This record gives sequence, structure tokens and C-alpha cells, in this order.
Amino acid sequence: MRPAASNTDAMRVPKSMSGTAVEVTKRWLRRSGIVAQLISLVLVIAVFALGTEGKNLSGANIQVVLSLAAIPAILAAGLHLTIVIGGIDLSLQGTVALCAVFVGLLSRNKFNGNDVGLWVVPIGIAIGGACGLVTGLLHTKLRIPSFITTLGISWVLYGLAVYINRAMIISLQDDRIQTFINDKPLGIANIAVVALAIALIVQFFEDRTRTGRYLYAVGGDEALAKQLGVKVDRVKILAFAVAGCLYGLGAVLLVNRMGTATSRAGLNLLFPVITAVAVGGVSLTGGLGGAKNALFGTLILTVLNNGMVLMAVNPYAQTAVNGVVLIAAVALTLDRKKLGFIK
Amino acid sequence: METTISRTQTVVLAAEGITRRFPGVTALDHVSLEIRSNEILGLVGENGAGKSVLTKILIGIYQADEGRIWLNGNEVVMNGTSDAIQKGIGAVFQEGSLIPNLSVTENLFLCHEADFLQYGVLSKRRMAAEARRLLLPMNIDIDVDAPVASLSAAAKQMVEIARVLWLSEKYGASNPVVILDEPTTVLNDSERDTLFDILNKLKRRASIVFISHRLQEVLENCDRIVVLKDGQNVTDMPTAGLQISEVEKLLVGHDFSGDRFRENEQLAPNEPVTLKIEQMGKAGAFEPVSFDVHEGEIISLVGLVGSGKEELCRCIAGLDQYDTGSVTIDGTRPRKGSSRAAVLGGIGHVPIERREEGLALNLSVADNINYLVLDKLKWAGLISSRLEKEHARRWVAECLVKTPSIGSACAGLSGGNQQKVILSKWLSSGVRLLILDHPTRGIDIGAKDEVYRLIRKFAKSGIAMIIMCDTLEEDIGLANRLLVMRERRLIGEIDASPGHKPSPQELIKLVV
Amino acid sequence: MEEKPRERVTQPDVRKAAMRLIGRVKPVHLTIVLILVVGTFMSVGNKEFLSLYNIDTILSFGAILLIAALGQMFAILIGGIDLSVGGTISLISVMFVFLVHSVGYWAYPICLATGLVLGYINGVILTRVKIPSFIATLGTGGIITSLAYVVSPRPISAASDDYGYFAVVNGSVWGVSNVFIIGLVTFVCILAFLRFSRAGRNIYFVGSNIKMAWMSGTDIAETRNVAFMLCGLCAAMVGIIISGVRYGGDPVVGTSYVLNSVAAVVVGGTALTGGTGGVVSVLFGTLFLSLLDNGMNVVGIDQYFQQALLGVMIILGVAVTFDRTKTPVIK
Repeated sequence: MRPAASNTDAMRVPKSMSGTAVEVTKRWLRRSGIVAQLISLVLVIAVFALGTEGKNLSGANIQVVLSLAAIPAILAAGLHLTIVIGGIDLSLQGTVALCAVFVGLLSRNKFNGNDVGLWVVPIGIAIGGACGLVTGLLHTKLRIPSFITTLGISWVLYGLAVYINRAMIISLQDDRIQTFINDKPLGIANIAVVALAIALIVQFFEDRTRTGRYLYAVGGDEALAKQLGVKVDRVKILAFAVAGCLYGLGAVLLVNRMGTATSRAGLNLLFPVITAVAVGGVSLTGGLGGAKNALFGTLILTVLNNGMVLMAVNPYAQTAVNGVVLIAAVALTLDRKKLGFIK
Repeated sequence: METTISRTQTVVLAAEGITRRFPGVTALDHVSLEIRSNEILGLVGENGAGKSVLTKILIGIYQADEGRIWLNGNEVVMNGTSDAIQKGIGAVFQEGSLIPNLSVTENLFLCHEADFLQYGVLSKRRMAAEARRLLLPMNIDIDVDAPVASLSAAAKQMVEIARVLWLSEKYGASNPVVILDEPTTVLNDSERDTLFDILNKLKRRASIVFISHRLQEVLENCDRIVVLKDGQNVTDMPTAGLQISEVEKLLVGHDFSGDRFRENEQLAPNEPVTLKIEQMGKAGAFEPVSFDVHEGEIISLVGLVGSGKEELCRCIAGLDQYDTGSVTIDGTRPRKGSSRAAVLGGIGHVPIERREEGLALNLSVADNINYLVLDKLKWAGLISSRLEKEHARRWVAECLVKTPSIGSACAGLSGGNQQKVILSKWLSSGVRLLILDHPTRGIDIGAKDEVYRLIRKFAKSGIAMIIMCDTLEEDIGLANRLLVMRERRLIGEIDASPGHKPSPQELIKLVV
Repeated sequence: MEEKPRERVTQPDVRKAAMRLIGRVKPVHLTIVLILVVGTFMSVGNKEFLSLYNIDTILSFGAILLIAALGQMFAILIGGIDLSVGGTISLISVMFVFLVHSVGYWAYPICLATGLVLGYINGVILTRVKIPSFIATLGTGGIITSLAYVVSPRPISAASDDYGYFAVVNGSVWGVSNVFIIGLVTFVCILAFLRFSRAGRNIYFVGSNIKMAWMSGTDIAETRNVAFMLCGLCAAMVGIIISGVRYGGDPVVGTSYVLNSVAAVVVGGTALTGGTGGVVSVLFGTLFLSLLDNGMNVVGIDQYFQQALLGVMIILGVAVTFDRTKTPVIK
């Protein structure tokens, strides 16, 4: 036993504080929970480098991969928040569809006289945020599981989007955002820089703010967090609202990159984004993994899909591969002890 | 031993006439408790004596139906744990209240991070430094940035104690009260010594309520001891000079009446062996044990929580895997670790959590009673609703289940009647061995008597039973034989046939 | 047999009696009221509504939805959900057209067996790999849908030579269409299965309290596998019927059935927590949805607006029926 220490020698610096930069990096890596993701990313790149005879390592292809990964990465940065709190958000497609239609109709277009200019960015984010807010309120106040709430909401929003859109393909006539996102002042497309920035901001929010830490407390043990004084409902609603905001931003970028807006913009997004989040190591049980995991997951999945395209795999079979990856990733990251009987 | 306090002690926290009722039971009946400054108070009592309910009332998780709480002479109402902690009262429970995926630092300051904010951003460095400062007196060497899930049970306890102290210091409580709910059951010997070292030091600035089953450590380390029995105060006295045997006597009470458990209906068991356990063991849960249960015999497993008796029963019922040995029921060996094989072999299990594990609450009484015998209620290969009704009616009458109709959902029945539905389900299925896990927990006196009657009746019909009870009297009264378990070992076997019943005092010596 | 002792009511209290009456109202009663309300509105507002042709349309559409919903009911009864039915329906619809062309009547058993196998895979992912059913079936649904696209990326029509094989679905007996008869027979079979067989009862017990079922010696993995296999079988039947009615298959045709089947089950009053509700509730839920669908089509409400409405109804339905006492924390 160590000798008794009293309060007075409290300022003594313990051993674990000191250490070289290498040790600090090592410790950070061990704790950050992305070592497995880094290794997988390298492996996937290496496998496809062999499979495509190095085509996937060309500068041009790397640019393509980064641009392709950008929007899913932003969406994943949003969606993973709802998984961190122990829920899930399946309303992604509906929210993106509705935001896309509104973005199309509010920007300068062929169908009406609207033109809000660059205000379309905050407006898109606000619409997404409002959708998320409603979802969060329904989930927490009506006390229904998040997966069915968000599934229902997704159908509602998608239905509304199609109803408003009426099968028009809205071409945008304002290409300022489009030019911006494709510019490469830093060597890579701005859209990728934006995605990276978003991931960093969300990660900072998770690590260094009170609310961010409460997300993890709720995901770790909701009942206990409530007992200790965390305002659980508020935290959960916030997670869904922030996720919604990021879907809104994703929709703005998506629409502007394509130059046209339709309600179909959101189709086939949920699947890859959830897969990316799961592959990144954000456990469905909640409380584990952050925005960096979502980012790495997106990168892994994009490299995988890009590799399959380069190897000319049947595009429909690619979705099937994603499905298998999703189930495998969830199976690996799920903490079954915490869940008891799985239903 | 540090039992004499030189300074005059003041009463910090006083509870007076606390009564708390739950459906069917009175958990606390006008209980009073005084906690003085700078002392370690031992709170002892059997399982279900009301210790944890009292704790939960003191820290505001439950509200008392009657009675008052005084803090430093002022009457107070505790509105939840965070309110209690602001008044300087906190508890550390066995199950723990740390969020496993958060780090030690984050758990220490959860919901009280305001001091560490800079422009809305948390200063991790300052938090970690403060956490180290708080943990220094706790004598543990842990990485404050590591997730709590990676800590040992002892370290988790220390973190929790540190949190309670920090919060009361922060809210300006001069003499915080820390309630420790059976902290030593998860600790090894050296960790236990460390804990008591720290508690004795903490005593200089705090009061500690120490709840434990282990009378030895209570007497050695506490200044005063309060004994609860069946939700009532039994005694409150200094520990100086107190003998264990005196406390044991108080603990089990003396109102041991002759026929509460229908002993006169008890019969000697038949010769044939129903259940044979041979060298059955599970690493970390219980050492290999061997015993037989005869036809119509009631065996009671006696021991504290953590003695291994629960795990033993789960293994016999096929709910858990065991490592060595074998279970033989009526000459056959069901596959181990399979509840299905155990049930098919004739082993039934009446669980302690009857709502969560015993009943399909939204289904009807008839559905629940008939569940195991559906195959016998068939007519031309199809389940016949006429046979179903007949069977359910017969067993509702047999087991005295009080229900509006056999079609009513089980959720609406009282605890006692729910228990009788579970018993009917097993008894009607032709079970050979029934494991009863606290069969009378939380049910009222009348229903208890009926459950005893059923147990006697079916023992008479040849069903063997293994039983774990709420009180030692119940164990002694019901059983033909008592098996005593302590610290994962079967340490003794006591005859409890009519006329040879041991006294609770004799038994408790072995148990604790 | 004598009645068991009743608890005596000491004070005949009107409010108590009223409360008891309200307590006895089940969600399915609400659905029946809704059906009556919608039905009355429709027949008053539209003379064509009660015409023989329109009723036939409602019943045929209803029969297809009923089969899909009965399948979904199994998944929900055990406390899970099957989001892959859409994929299965799409895959079977295109597979069936190809198979009919090459193996004739053998297409029927092969497609039904495929449905069983797909359901079994869902079951195994839930029971052995231990992934919650909503995420597992989301994954398998995606995989199965992409398989449908691999089989045929576009809608395909059957060759006119093969039309004879479709008569099983398209024919009629004494003026009653075969689709309706198939729906009715399925309904009766499932009703009997749940009511009269041990396996059917097990489904209720596993849904109501899986821990209790396990401790009572029920093979919970098998029970859940059976539930998902029956769900897959029903989806396969729907796939066959759809391609029979259309004389062709389409890899997107199943998509809307995920929403519709969940809605029919939930609106009928079967709780997502499992163990309550049953075929009769699903029948009423389906009837309500097909009335609503027909009515809105007659009135001319956009079908995507209808979809939004279904989403709202699912949320409300779950909010009303979800059993919150089972889980202290709702995630």
C-alpha cells in the first residue's frame, strides 16, 4: 500500500501526465478508437490497388474519391449523432428530399421567380433542422422508439417532397455555389474541405462541450444519466435537430453539385450513410465513436465502391456488397450484453 | 481500532418515523435513524429488512409515505439524488452509478462542469488535474482519462466516493454523509483493508453509513450499529465491546413462532432421488458441489448475496453454463446450459423477478397457466379451447388464484396472485423438481400463507424443491434440509426435519 | 365448474364503471369506428363507391395488402419488424416471370421456397448473429432489392405463350376473383395456425415476454425463425400475385409494401412491442387502409400525399399501442 496522501500535496503531478510527443500520439491513437478504421482503410486501398493495377491511386482518382465522399461524410456526421445517443435516424432520405425540393424552388430557377441567392444555404439548413426537431420531439414526447418514428417521418417528408415537386426537374440557374464547391484552391475540391471542416467541428463539439459529452452519457446509460441530472430529452432532441441541420446542408450541396433539384435527390442515400457510420465503428448500442469514425467509415466505403466501379462490378451488385458490409459492421460493433435479448 | 471520538458529536442527519409502503408490503414501518458527525455508522439487517429502501429515501429516490427528515436541525425534503447531494448526502450503490463509456474525469464532474468552461469549451487539462487532486486521498493509481468500464470494482467505488465528497464540498456541506451499500461484497481482502483505511481517514471530515452483511467488519470498523428487522428498528448502540453473537441474535429476531410455515404438514421425503448434483462447479461463481434432492423433499439454499447460491440455481435450471460435474434428474442428464433441456427433463424455475421473467403480462391467466401443457390440451391435433378452459379453471381453483376471469390479463393481478399463476403453470406441467427463487418476495401475508400451503401440498405429491427465501425463519420453517453456502462454497448441511429445526441464531453463525 | 371468487365491488361507482369500459376499449375498436366513418363518408359523397366494380377493386387490392400485412404481423408479433418485405416482393415478381417461362408451374413452389429461405436468413441474422431486426432487415432488404435489379434492371413482361400459367392468380371461381380467394384462405390458415398450434402460441409468448418464454423451455430461436420465414412466405405470395395480375415483373414494385404492410399492422392496433394483436386486428387495419386508399383515389388526392398520411398514421398508431412498461428507456 502506498503511504497516505493528504489534501495538501494535491498539486503533485502524477507520472501519467508526462511523456514525449510519440507517447502522447500513441495514447491518443489507442484511445481514439480509429486504429482499426485506419488499418481497414489502408487494406481496402491496398486490395483495390492490386485489383485495379494501381488505377485507384492516381491523382485524378483520389480527387474523385474525395469529392464523392464529401456529401456522405457530411450526412454521416449528422446521422452518427443519433446513433451515439443510442437511437437511430432513418429519416435521412425524406429530409434530404424535402430540403432538396425547397432549395430548388427557392434558388433562381426556371419554374418560378424566387431567388434567395446564397441565403439558400442557411434556409436549407434551417428546414433540415426543423425536420430533425420535429422528429426529436415526437420521439421523446410521444415516447416511441426512434427507428419507427424516423421511419414514419421519412415517409411523411418524402411524400411531401414528391407532392410539392410534382415530378418537375428543377434546373438551377445560379451556379455560384456549384463553382465554389468544385474549386480547388487547396489542391482538393472545396466540397471535400467543407466536409472535413464539418467533421472536425462536430468532433470538437462532441469532445469539448458539455452537451457533446452528455450525448455520450445518454448513449452509455440513459437511465443513469437522467438520474445524475442530464436533461436527457433535451439532449436527444438536440441530436436529432443537429443531424437534421447537416442533412439540410448536405441537400444544399447535393442539389448545387448536380445543378438540378428533384425529390429523388435523397434516394439511395440512407443505406450507404448508415453503412459508413457502422463501418467507422460507431456502435449501434450507443455511446461509442465520434465524427472522426463517421468520416473514416465514409472514406472506407467510398474507396470500396470506387474500387468496384474501377473493376467494373455490376452496379446493382455493389449495393448488395454494401448490405453485407452493413450487417457485418453492425455485428462486429454491437455490444450484445447491454441489449439483452435482441428483437 | 478507532472507536472513541474525543470531540462532541452533533447529529447531522436524522430520519424520524419513516414509513414506506409498496403494494402488498410495508417496507419500512416507523423507522428512525440518526447520523452523527464524524462517525461510521453500521446499518445491518437481512435481505428485505429495509436497508436499501431507507437509503433510497434518504437520498430522495423514493419519498416516504410518513415521517420526516432533519438536516442539521432543519426539516428537509429530498427531491431526487441531485437535490440530496447539494445538501451533502450521497450514496454509493452496489450496482454503481458511473456511466461506463465515459472517462473517470467525465464521470466525476458529470452535470457539474460549469467550473471548467472557458468560452463554452471544456478545459480537459483542468478537469484532469482536479480529478487527480480528488483521487489522491483515495489511494488508487488510475488513469483519469480511461473509460470507467476498464476499472476494477474497487477503483469504481473510490471514484464514486470521491464524487460524493467533491459535490458536497462544492455545495458547502460541512459534514457530508456518504452511504455505502454493501461495498465490500465485490472487494478482495486487501482492497477491503484499503477501503477501511480510507473510511477511517474520511471520518475526520464526513459521516459514513456502512451497510454490510459481514458483522465482523461492521463491528471492527463502525462506531455505532443500527439493526433493522422486517422494516422496523431493532437496536441502535455503540459497537464498543459488542459481541457478534449479540448482534446475530438481534438480526434474526426472537418472535420465531411455531407454525407460520405450516411445519405440521411437513412430511419426511420419499426414498427415491429426484435430483442428483455431482461435483458441479462454475469458475468464479461457485466451487464444485454435490448433493441429492429426494422425492417430496424441500431443500433450502442459505447464504448471502454473492455466496453463489443464485448462480448454482441458474445452472441447475439450464439458464447458465457450468464448467464441471453433472446434473441428473430422474436418471437422465439434460444437456447443460439449455433451459429447454432442463424443462423437458422436469426442472421448473420460479424466478424472483416475476413480472420480468415469470409471466407474459399482456396474455391471459389461462394462457399463462396452460403454456407448458398445450400439447396435452389438443383434440384431433389442434389446441382445443374447451380443454384449455377446463384445465385453466381447474388450476385456478387448485391454487386459489383470485382473478376476475380466466381470460383476464395477468398484468392486472396482485403480486400474490401472479405468483400463484406461475406456480400453477409449473405444477400442472408435471414438473419433477421446482426451483423457487424467493417465492414470497413482495407479496402480502395472506398470499404468503397460501403459497406456503401450495408448497406443502405439492411436496406431499412428490415434487422435489430447491428454495431460496427472504428470511432465515422461512428457510428453516419450510425446508427438510438446509444447505449453507458461503463465499462460493457449500460449507454445511443441516437437518431441519420436524422436531429438529435449528434456531436462526445457529444458522446465521454459519451464513455470515 | 364453479366460478372463482370475485373481488366484491363495495361501491357501485359510475365513474369507476366508465373507466373500466374505457379500459376495455382496444385499439382495434378504434379502427372499426374509423372504417365506419370513412366508409359512410365515401358512400355519401360518391355514388360509385358502393358499386360492385369498386367493391371488387377494394377487395382485390385489400387481399394483396392483407397477405403482405399478415406476413409483417408475424415479425411484429415477436417484437421485431421486417423492412425487407419490399425487396422480397420485387425479387419474386421478376423471378417469377423468368421462372414461369423456363419451368412452368414449378415457378410457384420455387418462388414460395425462395421467400421461405429469405425469411430464414433474416431470422438467422436476428437469432444467431444477434442484430436487431430493424437494422438486419434494412440490410437484407437492400441486398435483396439489388438482387432483383441484377435479375432484371427494368420492368419485364411475360411472353404471351406463358399467360396460361398466370390463370392461378387471375382466374375466378363463380365470379369471385382468385386473388380474393387466396387472401381469404391465407387469412383462415394463419388464424388457425396462431389459434390452434403450439408454434403459433409460442409466437405470442416470445413476443410478450421473451425471457419468460426462454426460461420456460421454449426454443426462442426457432420460434423467431419461423415467424420470419412465414413473413418471407407471405411476401413471396404477394410477389407472385403482383406479377400474375400485371403479367410481368418490376424490380421496384415492392417498395411501397414496406410502408403499407407496417401501416396496416400498426393501424390495426398490433403493438410494436410484440405479443398483442393478431389476424383480426390486421384484417381491420388492412380494410381501413384499402378503403382510405380507394376513397382518396376516387376523390383525387395525390398518392404521395397519401404516403405522407400513412407515415403520420404509423407514428400515431405506434404512439397509442406501444407498451412502455416493458422498457424503462425508449431508444
